[in-house]
Amino acid sequence: MRNLALVHRLSGLALAVFLPLHFWALGQALDGEARLESFLRWTDQPLVKASEWAVVLLLAIHLTGGMRILMIEFLPWRDWQKTLAAVAAAAALAIGLLFALSSTAHAQAWPHKPVRFVVPFPPGGATDISARLLAQKLSEIWGQTVVIDNRGGAGGGVGAVEAAHAAPDGYTFFFPSGSVVTANQHIYAKLNYDPEKDFVPVTNVVSGPQVLVVAANSPYKSVQQLIDAARAQPGRLTFGHAGIGSQTHLAAENFVNAAKINAVQVPYKGEGPSLVGLIAGDTTFAVTNVAAAMSHIQGGRLRALGVTSKGEFAQLPGVPPIAKTLPGFENTGWFGIMAPTGTPKEIIQKVYLDTKKALESSEMRARFYVLGLAPVGNSPEEMGAAMKKETALWARVVKERKIKVE
Amino acid sequence: MSAKAETLLWVMQRASAAVLGLCVLVHLGTMIYAVRGGLTAAEILSRTRGSAAWLAFYTVFVLAISLHVPIGLRTVLGEWLGWRGAVRSGLLFLFALAMAFTGMRAVIGVYS
Repeated sequence: MRNLALVHRLSGLALAVFLPLHFWALGQALDGEARLESFLRWTDQPLVKASEWAVVLLLAIHLTGGMRILMIEFLPWRDWQKTLAAVAAAAALAIGLLFALSSTAHAQAWPHKPVRFVVPFPPGGATDISARLLAQKLSEIWGQTVVIDNRGGAGGGVGAVEAAHAAPDGYTFFFPSGSVVTANQHIYAKLNYDPEKDFVPVTNVVSGPQVLVVAANSPYKSVQQLIDAARAQPGRLTFGHAGIGSQTHLAAENFVNAAKINAVQVPYKGEGPSLVGLIAGDTTFAVTNVAAAMSHIQGGRLRALGVTSKGEFAQLPGVPPIAKTLPGFENTGWFGIMAPTGTPKEIIQKVYLDTKKALESSEMRARFYVLGLAPVGNSPEEMGAAMKKETALWARVVKERKIKVE
Repeated sequence: MSAKAETLLWVMQRASAAVLGLCVLVHLGTMIYAVRGGLTAAEILSRTRGSAAWLAFYTVFVLAISLHVPIGLRTVLGEWLGWRGAVRSGLLFLFALAMAFTGMRAVIGVYS
């Protein structure tokens, strides 16, 4: 009995040292910005893990003694009954605590299973390429596979619905091109997702201009020649795009509007298939993302007539800006990450910070550079503000161009 | 210190011990539920944040610790080192305040 009281006091003294340190360290970790980051870093430290085990053992020992004392003072039990009850209770507590701690060690760090990026277009388009490049880098950072789930159709709507209905548990994200979340709501009379209510911004990953392309065997060798041909035969020329309301659709509509020509739009399920159609001669031209067209241009299957940036675009030397023919013309596309509404803020913050980190690596910058894309990596708040602005712009353009899907 | 005050400290020590016994069990049960349910640290934090019930529970937990530990230390210091008097009481009071402050800072971090 005397030994038990001594052990109770010694374990109490140790806890008197450990607990304030524990409170202080936890308070430090949870204070300020990027809380989850610091919290996870803190719990991952070997010293902290060791101290957690020590605290558990000390608690079990201290409680055993404490319960014994309480029983002697308050319960009229026999000595051996009290000791047995106290030891049994303490053992149960210790086992439970140890079990909880060992499980916690595995479960605390996010992500503990593969993360899914829902890409609302089939493979081969700029959205898909951007998502795959980033996914590869994030897989390295997180030590978990980032799976690309291509769900093409309805101008990105099929993938958007899939992502909007996913559990907001931090394991499913939406990787759209800008227009899917800033223009579709103005184009489609009935949309099965609400870009503003179903998703929250995480970060804009990359942005870049588009390129006006024709098939390599096309008779048109310049933007002016294409415009002249369209004016000579109104409604005969066609342009393919990734789906109604997609970034490539709106870029082409913007071009058609600026050139004051009449051309017929042909929707495909994605950017990749639209370029295959263009190469096969099914359509006349496309205003497509540089990332998707680059390999076709370099492979001699497509001819680039003009870029949508204000000036010449370094990755496509010799290709003039469309603005040279149509002064003031400019169009930019972007691809970003959004999360289903309800996703924990800490995870959103972590995805944003890790994406930013990934985009800062020279390897990623180089890979996006050759694709004609510039890394962005802005904060969720900045992305949200930019999207609001863009949504207002597309609302006006869509109204003026009378683009409507019933 | 008067006998009445000593008695009060004795009662507070036992009462806080009983509260702590309960708090540890609830805390343990919550941890097991959360971990077995596959919740990550981020998900746990997203549930505790903004919850007045968790704020109240961990406030009671921290305050009970801040009461229990200094009273226990007071007994040990008195019996083992023979240290009694106003200085001991003053320092232990400051120690209790420091524990309550650091503990509540952690609680607020989990809540807000």
